[in-house]
This record gives sequence, structure tokens and C-alpha cells, in this order.
Amino acid sequence: MRIRLALLLSALAWGLVTGPAAAEVKLLNVSYDPTRELYQDINAAFARQWKAKTGQDVNVQQSHGGSGKQARSVIDGLEADVVTLALAYDVDAVASSGLIAKNWQARLPNNSAPYTSTIVFLVRKGNPKKIRDWDDLTRPGISVITPNPKTSGGARWNYLAAWGFALHKFGNDPAKAKDFVARLYKNVPILDTGARGATVTFVERGIGDVLIAWENEALLAVKQLGGKGELLIVAPSLSILAEPPVAVVDKVAAKHKTTQVAAAYLQYLYTPEGQEIAARHYYRPRNQAVAAKYAAQFPKVQLFTIDQVFGGWTKAQKTHFEDGGVFDQIYGAGK
Amino acid sequence: MRTTMVVLCCLVLPPPAARAQETNQQPAAPPADEKSVDEKLEELDQKIRILDRQIELDKEAAAEKAKTAGQANAGKDGFSLKSADGNFLLRVRGYVQLDGRFFLDDEQKPAIDTFTLRRVRPIFEGTVYKIFDFRIMPDFGGGQTVLQDAYMEARLSPAFKVRAGKFKPPVGLERLQSGADLLFVERGLPTNLVPNRDLGIQLGGDLAGGIATYAVGVFNGVLDGGNADADTNDDKDLAARVFLQPFIKGTGALKNLGFGIAASTGDQKGTPTAPNLPSYRTPGQQTFFSYRSDGTAPNTTVADGERGRLSPQGYLYTGPFGLLVEYVISRQDVRRGTAADRLEHKAWQVAASWVLAGGEPSYRSVNPKKIFDPSAHTWGAFEIAARYHKQELDKDTFPTFANLASSASSAEAWAVGFNWYLNKNLRLLFDYEDTRFEGGAATGDREDEKIFFSRFQIAF
Repeated sequence: MRIRLALLLSALAWGLVTGPAAAEVKLLNVSYDPTRELYQDINAAFARQWKAKTGQDVNVQQSHGGSGKQARSVIDGLEADVVTLALAYDVDAVASSGLIAKNWQARLPNNSAPYTSTIVFLVRKGNPKKIRDWDDLTRPGISVITPNPKTSGGARWNYLAAWGFALHKFGNDPAKAKDFVARLYKNVPILDTGARGATVTFVERGIGDVLIAWENEALLAVKQLGGKGELLIVAPSLSILAEPPVAVVDKVAAKHKTTQVAAAYLQYLYTPEGQEIAARHYYRPRNQAVAAKYAAQFPKVQLFTIDQVFGGWTKAQKTHFEDGGVFDQIYGAGK
Repeated sequence: MRTTMVVLCCLVLPPPAARAQETNQQPAAPPADEKSVDEKLEELDQKIRILDRQIELDKEAAAEKAKTAGQANAGKDGFSLKSADGNFLLRVRGYVQLDGRFFLDDEQKPAIDTFTLRRVRPIFEGTVYKIFDFRIMPDFGGGQTVLQDAYMEARLSPAFKVRAGKFKPPVGLERLQSGADLLFVERGLPTNLVPNRDLGIQLGGDLAGGIATYAVGVFNGVLDGGNADADTNDDKDLAARVFLQPFIKGTGALKNLGFGIAASTGDQKGTPTAPNLPSYRTPGQQTFFSYRSDGTAPNTTVADGERGRLSPQGYLYTGPFGLLVEYVISRQDVRRGTAADRLEHKAWQVAASWVLAGGEPSYRSVNPKKIFDPSAHTWGAFEIAARYHKQELDKDTFPTFANLASSASSAEAWAVGFNWYLNKNLRLLFDYEDTRFEGGAATGDREDEKIFFSRFQIAF
């Protein structure tokens, strides 16, 4: 009887602490460095669309940083409803912790990468160092700005793009490719932790002759300087197809009861409206019609994929970016 | 940028006289592979920019690292280690009380005047995973080692906290006050009738922003004033308390008015070798009542059924004035041989205090506004206090169940005190207490206990 009374009191107390569900739903999108502006617009547009469709207010909050670091934060407890990271390897890392289903890449079209980008060069007015292709980045006296591949997803794309070019140039000879990339990184005076930081180093601090950058980041930098010709984009002859992926963080979304809205948020990225917004922020859209509309703003570049050249992200990560990997060997030796 | 360039010019370019000399001598043009002055300037400028940026990045990295680095703190609230996100915390606190007890006119029952370490209590408190708190508090006072508190508490919400382990059951108002926050050196007589520490599970919390607090728990069940680490039978006690502070959100004179009611109930039985009944002590910690006990059934009073307590209680702290009132009824079924009865003992107290200067009273002691610092002519806080309290044993306790050689049927006491709070950590207490005893013993009323207390306390 007394135990029953205690249970009854417990139930009453529990009732006091649980209230009616909030009218507004909140999402946290944990993303990588250069997507701030993109997701500000996506969030506002999606909120309007969701409100019109369901009558519910949705407030999407953003968190940005180096992609690898962001993935680690989510694994360590940052309660992201969705992740929109720079590379699949980082989403895989979150999935390995059990927060995301292993088949996340198959849940949305195009391997869950709603837009793509590539790696280009940003040079100063008039291209005074006459930088045309990856070879020029290895010339003595050329100062190259690129972030640290150990912390930045964008930097890993940069590195692999250079490596892929070198393999192509030297007939798939990994030793020569290693030497080529080592010479390139010998010209890197400073390593930022993220792509946005590297842009600040190059554009605002005036350091370096060339910035290896996401295409969208390079186009944004050119636009923000008012098109005065202070910066120029140089498209290399060969680059990598970067496919930044997105995924619902299943366990967090289930806990927050946001699975439905989180999934709708990511699906919105594939809609014509979402693709338009991505294109306006210089991401290459998947939607053919939108891609055709914005084709003029993207330079023509021959692209290879990570699967074609490196056998996928897991293999590339292990070979090049793990502690003691190729990057540590060449950067440690170069410095 | 301009400053940088000017400095670089000064460093790199030769002085004007030297340049004039060079002009007059018409030096030969530099070799083609030698860098021009502009190129050297540009190179130096880049080096400086890189160094500046590196410093900037190092600062960013240091700031980032600071976000994830733990914190170690030491201060008036103790010592603590805290993770960067605040989810993990370890706090080391504690307090030590050196008491002096000096009995006056103790002719019939001489007691020893002594200094004693009344409480020596290191406290280890902490939090793991943000909502799970723990507390471990041993006591080495009086040359003994007693585990006073050892519990964990899950703070699921302010209104829903689950505590499990050894702690104070939610009954006595003054008992629930920390031993470091007491108004007098010793607690009043009502505390004789309530449990001290027990093992169990408790649900509790604050409702309506602290206007109401509640606690209800299941415990092993200890005797009055008891502190046990294990049970002696299968029966368990249920204890509950509701306390209201209706004006706590306001700023008026009744902001610190609190009142409530607490109760406990259970079935407890004893045996001649373990009677499961309490004895009661005077403020001077001398036993003034005990049940008959010689280890045999005919001459040992034992617990024999229901044990219940009821305690209306309250306090008011307003301006410099403080008042604490408490009433306790403790009911216990007892048996001695073939004689059985339900005994009901009662106790109450009224304790008042007045902070003369330097602070405000509260249930959690006085926190001096200005610490003792003779060089700054600040002296801490001073407080005077008085109380009246009484404990009455059920008349039916005598002569069948009580030990007539050492028992009184009532104790009635008054006390005055002076407290000096030098700072948040140090305080001095001086009390005089006079306790009168009536009835009980076959030899007549026991002589008054007149005692002077002193306490030096450090708490951190």
C-alpha cells in the first residue's frame, strides 16, 4: 500500500515536469566551414515552406567549423538533428558511433549529396605569378594557402585533387605523386584549421599567391570583393568532384522527436527551390534544369571522383590522413 | 599596413646619404637573379603577415582549447574541478568544529568539562553526466568514524529528483539543517524524536519555482535520533514532507517565510538483545531517558509495532530577525514482557535570533557582508539568539517501560547564544543553556544541567 502511494506520487510528479509539446520545432544543423551563407537562406526558405505545409514553425540553428572537428563534436554529444558535412568520411564517422544508420548514403538521391563542388585556385589581381595549373603551385617562391587536412574536410579535397592531378601527370606513379604533393606543401607557409579560415588568411590578411579553395568559396570571395578584379579564379586542368553529403542524425532526431521535419529539411535541398538556392551560393546543383540555368557561372573543369582514383573515402583517409599517414610524412618532412 | 611598410622601408632601404653616394658613383645594375628592393620588401611583408596570422591562429587555438579544458577553482566555497562543459564536477568541501563544554553546578551527576572535536567532516560532492549528483561525507568527530552521507541524486528536473543512498530522511526541520549552519551549538530537544540518517530512496523536488518543496521516501527505518547503515528487519518506513514558501518569489518581509509538515510511519519490532528503541539526550549530550534493558525479556522494553512521527514546522527570516519553530510527536508501540502500550512522546522548540550587525539571518546561516579585517575596520557579523524547548515523555512510559535509574519524564530548557561570523568560513559560537528535568527517576528530580558551550568552526 505504501509502495503504491510512493508510485502514485512519482507519477504525479512526473506529470508536473512533462508539459504539452512546444508549438515551434527546433533543428540543429551541424555543418562545415563555408556553408554559413548557404544554410542561412535554405533555413529561411524551408521554414516558410514547412509553415505553409504543416502550420508549424521551424527554427533551424546552425553550427559551423572544420568538417572533421564538427563530426567529432557530434560524436561527443553535440545534439545535431542533421549533419551537412564536407565529406562522406566524416558522416561515416558519426554513423560508426551509432548515431546515424549505416545505410545513410542510400536514403537520399545522389548518395545523399544534394549539390557538388570542386576545387579551384584563387589568385590575386592580374595573376602576377602566372598560376595556371597544379604544376605552378610547386614552383619555388610560390606561396600556397590551403587549410590543414587533419582538421578540414575542404583541405582533404584540396590535397586529393592535387594528388589525383599528379597521378594523372606521372602515369599513376605514387612515388612521383608523393614528391609532387610534398613540393606543393613545402610552399604552404601556414595551415588554417578550416576552409573559411584559409580564405581569411588569403583574402583579408593578404598572405600567399594562391588559395586552393572550394569553388563556391572562391566564387563567394570574388563576389564579396565587388567584382573589382582584386581576385581571380583559375580553374585547373583537372580537379576532383567534391560531394558534400547530408544525413539525419537518427538517434538525436528520435530523441528530439524531429525525425520527420529533419528528413523534410534535407529533402528540401533536392527541390528546385533548394537547388536554386544552392546554385546562387555557387554550389553545383544536381537538378539538370537548375544546372543548365547556372552553367555560365561554373568554369569547365575535367573532374574525377574519389572512388575512381582513391577507392573511396575510407581508403583515402587511412592512406593519407591518419596519424603517420602520407600527409604527416610529407608535411613533417617539408617543415 | 602603412606602419609596417614604413618600418620595412627604414630597415631595408639605405639612409639618404648612402643613397646619394650610390647615385654619384652610378653603381652597376644588380645581377639578373638578385631580388629587387621591391621584391625584398614584398618578401619581408609576407613574412611579417605570416607571423601575425600565425599568432592569430595560435590565439584562436588557445581559446578553442580553453573551451574544452577543465577548470580548477579554489575559494570560499571549497575546491572544485569542473569539465569545460560543466557536465562533470568534483567539489571538495568540509567543516571542523572544536567545541568546549563546561558544566556548571554538576554535583549530583558530575559531567566532564572538555574540549572535543564535535564534527570533522570532509565532504566530497560532484556531478557526472550533468544531472547525476553524488555526495560522500564521513565524520571523524569524537574520535570515531561514521559515514554520515553517501548518496546519489538524479536531477531529472527541478520538480523530479530521485535520491538513493544514506542521507537525512525528510522529517525534522532543524535536523535537515546542516550541522555547519546551526544557530546553537547543539540542536534542540525536538531533534531527539526524529531520524538522523537512514538508507533509502527518495523522490523530491521544487514545485512552482520553489513555492512548494516535497520529498517522499522509503527507508530502512531508524529509531528516534538514529543513524544506521543496515536494517535489522524486513519492515520499512515511509517518510514524507511538504514545505511551503508562498512568498519566496517576492521581495517583501515574508519572502523567507516557510512552513510545512512532515511525517514518517512504519512497523518496527525489537528483541531483548536488540530492543530497537532510542534513548534521549540533553543539550549537553548526556542521556536523560532510556528504556529498561538488561537483555532479558521480562526486564527489557522492546519496539513492538507501529512507529510514527508527525512534525509541523516553520521559520521566518525577515530583516535582522529569525524565528524557527518545530513540534514533533513520536509514537511507538512497545512491550515489556506481557505489558504492552502505545507511547507518544512530544517535543517542541521556539528559537529566535537577531543579527546585530553585518549580515542577514537565514535557514542556511548568516553570510557576513563584510569579513573580519581589523585593518579595514570591518568585523564580520554578530548575532544573538535565544530558544526555549521541551521534551515530554508519555506518562505511561513510567514506571513500566522506562529505566527509572536514569530517566526523567520531561526536559525543559532555555538557552541564549552569541555568534560571531568572521567570514563565510569561520565562526565562533558561545551558548549558555539551562535544562530542568522533572519526574521519572525514583530518586526524585534530576538536577538541572547548566552548561556553557563554545565552538570554533571552520567550514569551506
